[in-house]
Amino acid sequence: MAIRANPKLIEELETYGAQDVSKCYHCGNCSATCPFSQDPYILPRRSMRSLQMGLERKLEGDLEPWLCYYCGECSQECPRDAEPGETMMSLRRWLTSRYDFTGISKLFYRSWRIELAAILLVAMLTGLGFFLFGLSQGNIHHYDGVNAFLPGEKIHFFDWGLAIVLLVLLLTNCARMWWFTIGRDKSKRVPLTAYIKSAYLLPMHFMTQMRYAKCERKRPWVIHLILMLSYVTMLILIMFFVKRMAAGPAIDWRVHAFGLAATVGLLGTTIFAVRGRIKKTENHYKHSHETDWMFLILLIVVAGTGILQFILHRSGLDMAANITYVVHLMSVVPMLGLEVPFSKWSHLAYRPLAMYFAEIKAEAARAEARASQGVRAPQAA
Amino acid sequence: MRIGVYLCQAGIGDVDAVNLHSIASYAANLPSVEVVRDLGLLPKVEPDAFAAEIRAESLDRLVIAGDTPGFFKPAFTRAMALAGEDPKEVRLASFNAFGASSGNGTARAKSVLACAALGVPFPLAAVPDTTAVRPGTLIVGGGISGIQAALEIADAGKQVHLVERTGTIGGHMAMFDKTFPTLDCAACILTPKMVSVGQHEMIDLMTYSEVAHISGSPGDYTIKVRKKARRVDVSACVACNVCADVCPQRVTSEFDNGIAERKAAYIPFPQAVPNAYLIDAESCTYVQSDGAKCGVCAKKCPKECIDLDQADEIVELEVGNIILATGYDVYDATKIERYNYGTLPNVLTALEFERLTNASGPTGGKIITKTKRVSKKRGEEWVFDVDEGVPPKSVAIIHCVGSRDANHNAYCSRVCCMYSLKFAHLVTEKLPGAKCYEFYIDMRAFGKGYEEFANRIKAEGTFVIRGRTAKVFAQDGQMMIRGEDIISDRLVDFPVDMVLLSVGLIPAHGSADLATMLGLATDDDGWFSELDYNASPTETERGGVFVAGACQAPKDIPDTVAQAAAVAAGVLKSIATGRGLNSRADLALSDIERRATSLVRI
Ligand SMILES: Cc1cc2nc3c(=O)[nH]c(=O)nc-3n(C[C@H](O)[C@H](O)[C@H](O)COP(=O)(O)OP(=O)(O)OC[C@H]3O[C@@H](n4cnc5c(N)ncnc54)[C@H](O)[C@@H]3O)c2cc1C
Ligand code: SF4
Ligand code: SF4
Repeated sequence: MAIRANPKLIEELETYGAQDVSKCYHCGNCSATCPFSQDPYILPRRSMRSLQMGLERKLEGDLEPWLCYYCGECSQECPRDAEPGETMMSLRRWLTSRYDFTGISKLFYRSWRIELAAILLVAMLTGLGFFLFGLSQGNIHHYDGVNAFLPGEKIHFFDWGLAIVLLVLLLTNCARMWWFTIGRDKSKRVPLTAYIKSAYLLPMHFMTQMRYAKCERKRPWVIHLILMLSYVTMLILIMFFVKRMAAGPAIDWRVHAFGLAATVGLLGTTIFAVRGRIKKTENHYKHSHETDWMFLILLIVVAGTGILQFILHRSGLDMAANITYVVHLMSVVPMLGLEVPFSKWSHLAYRPLAMYFAEIKAEAARAEARASQGVRAPQAA
Repeated sequence: MRIGVYLCQAGIGDVDAVNLHSIASYAANLPSVEVVRDLGLLPKVEPDAFAAEIRAESLDRLVIAGDTPGFFKPAFTRAMALAGEDPKEVRLASFNAFGASSGNGTARAKSVLACAALGVPFPLAAVPDTTAVRPGTLIVGGGISGIQAALEIADAGKQVHLVERTGTIGGHMAMFDKTFPTLDCAACILTPKMVSVGQHEMIDLMTYSEVAHISGSPGDYTIKVRKKARRVDVSACVACNVCADVCPQRVTSEFDNGIAERKAAYIPFPQAVPNAYLIDAESCTYVQSDGAKCGVCAKKCPKECIDLDQADEIVELEVGNIILATGYDVYDATKIERYNYGTLPNVLTALEFERLTNASGPTGGKIITKTKRVSKKRGEEWVFDVDEGVPPKSVAIIHCVGSRDANHNAYCSRVCCMYSLKFAHLVTEKLPGAKCYEFYIDMRAFGKGYEEFANRIKAEGTFVIRGRTAKVFAQDGQMMIRGEDIISDRLVDFPVDMVLLSVGLIPAHGSADLATMLGLATDDDGWFSELDYNASPTETERGGVFVAGACQAPKDIPDTVAQAAAVAAGVLKSIATGRGLNSRADLALSDIERRATSLVRI
């Protein structure tokens, strides 16, 4: 098959935040330094090479960017200041936009103004919608009870609706990811057994992020794990235990303890990240894309209004609690609705998937090697 | 004529040295200059847009000011052609190329710009007057460059004062066993030259000496040389080694680059010139105790030539020309932590290996690994022990250590690829069973016979791997090396017994002081700046001051010798005619302007 090269690929990637790709002179320092670099997935130099050669299709099918956790050691060691770590980050953004069939992701990453406008628009619509909905339901002075402004069960209904839409979008993107990285390559057949054998990797990587722990410095992994676990806890609480959370006035410690822990986790890690990005404390905080900031700001608003709403409600300030609740929803909906399928948050699916796919592909390659050896062995004898 | 001046800051180097505002307004007042634009730090030069501007302003000459070495010239040339003007009328005014980074930076930049606007090459206009020249010459540094220049001048019958700061002349070349690419014996070439220098009646050799002060003007310099107390009478010493035998003090040998020891009473190496011992005051018990202790060498010396109380002496010289030949030092490998130099015993720098493999070195040229030695007094140490040391089974050589690296030195040190190949040859020749790996980024085999040399080494069985190693580390007591083999597209991770770091070259310590003493410019990396890279690579901004060898830029022995001889020619010319050039550094802006204008009229 003819190989097509896109001479403008680096320029394209630059719109996703890549900076100095063409400086690379292929000394291999980065790949040999990278704690994740391991046969057959050697990173990040190969990606630098593919970019310089404009191998768009190959890059689309690469899993390497997802195997990088941006510990930044490669960028530190790079003798050319070619910023391979940042290139990998930009490639993740680029891949996200490739996996996304709607084209929205691409718009967001290439123009933060559009993303911001979309966030604001969705927030406004959400705010307006819930406000009108609230007025049609009850009284703004009541948080719960018969006259509740935003009755819990109905909001919950909405939660599930949103969850299903997001899931469908995300799964389609994941399917596209599979197609690019495994399905499209007809030359390599991956047996079904390989999929089954490694299936455990998916939940394992999702929950522990143990690969991240391979970085020399453990703090980023801990921070990320806390953030992720807090979010998952929150999500589970909201999706399955919201009734008990909202039921007042007594506090149900069985759920609230979790809620509190998750909130502390969320706020703590987010503040850490904001501080880090301002002071550039970690390698992966050195270059901040606008989308990184928007993501963080949304996170803070979501967590902040979530707690505030809870406190206000518990203090009997029902109206204030209702308004905060609307603001909370105004931040939650764009964050989940836009970030999960189209932007930074989608990595929650792509990363574990990539590790799963990587193992499957490697397993398939090993099986192939064994098979071809098996053929050669009798000849040798 | 209508001229457009475009200021770009790319390559201005030290932006603080020049005042861009003042330059821009100066440019605007030059005759025929119609447009002056500051393009800022990183301009995007679109030929189409500039062609439109050229047409709109009907410009027929463009001056690109500040741009070194001329990043934007191609774009402007294209713009000129697009606009239908003569592309040759794009004139480069590279401030840095003509020394605008030092003291009078702004005035120099203006004069460079004025010349470009007038269409006169700067070196033609910036010609200083001539001055009378004294016949004597001072050479600072007694490496191969200083030696070569000294012999050329002295053989022509002129007086040379050669000042070398160590106890012997010879420089780095004296440490080598073989030289690339011919694999000639280094000593066979160098020793006769060293001996001639020592015996030449026109050469006044001052070893263990340094230049303390320089005053005067081109053609008439007065030099104060500090002759450090050698404490041994050079003319009487017969190099019998008795003093060293009895001396109780051991320190690491500089000449052996730390892989062996010497006494406080020592000779750097047996063929040293002058062939006499010296006492190292810093480690001598007698000197350090103010004469209270020891002193045994002076008592035992059969020639009674040791004077442990000798003091430094200042000698004054009057010379017409000065040749700087101070050479280089090597990059400090401990700065690159991932190679673990200094922590893993068998990670060696190139110079250490030169001594190890040298037939007259501490191991007699045997390539062996270090042996651990534990003693009460000195604790645990790793040393080369000829009896116990075993030859390494595998040796890895890492190129570009500290060179071509934005975190260290951005420049290429020019000789490391070649000497690494030489090492590979020595390893495969002396240890036929051993594996030898070379990790390189690009193989720079640039000279006559060098590519052939590289091919020969590959044919000899050295594994040449494209990819610079990332780390050297120890795993369960075994040294390991990890890198990427870019050509076969895989990671390599294997055990080695010895690692050689091909460290880059940096200016010799103390050369910055010399530059200040002479008011001489150095480039951003500290190498002495020549007057003009292409046209006058041996002269400097300061009249009567020349540069030879590696102190001007990293270079190998053939280039060093050639440059030294060229310097000698320049010096001899000025002595023969009795006139030398004054300093270009002192030329006033108005002088250059006047000369440039008169050249246009002709
Ligand atoms: C490991 C290694 C191997 C090499 N192998 C080869 C090879 O095989 N072939 C080849 O062509 N080239 C080789 N080179 C390059 C070679 O060493 C240089 O080209 C050559 O030594 C340059 O000579 P030089 O006289 O300019 O400098 P140097 O040899 O450095 O001599 C400078 C002299 O000046 C003295 N000095 C310095 N500062 C002062 C001061 N302020 N006052 C008084 N004296 C001073 C020093 O003590 C020294 O004696 C090698 C280099 C290295 C690092
Ligand atoms: S370390 Fe830098 S220059 Fe070397 S291969 Fe990696 S990106 Fe390229
Ligand atoms: S006087 Fe100094 S040089 Fe002489 S033997 Fe004693 S320590 Fe050694």
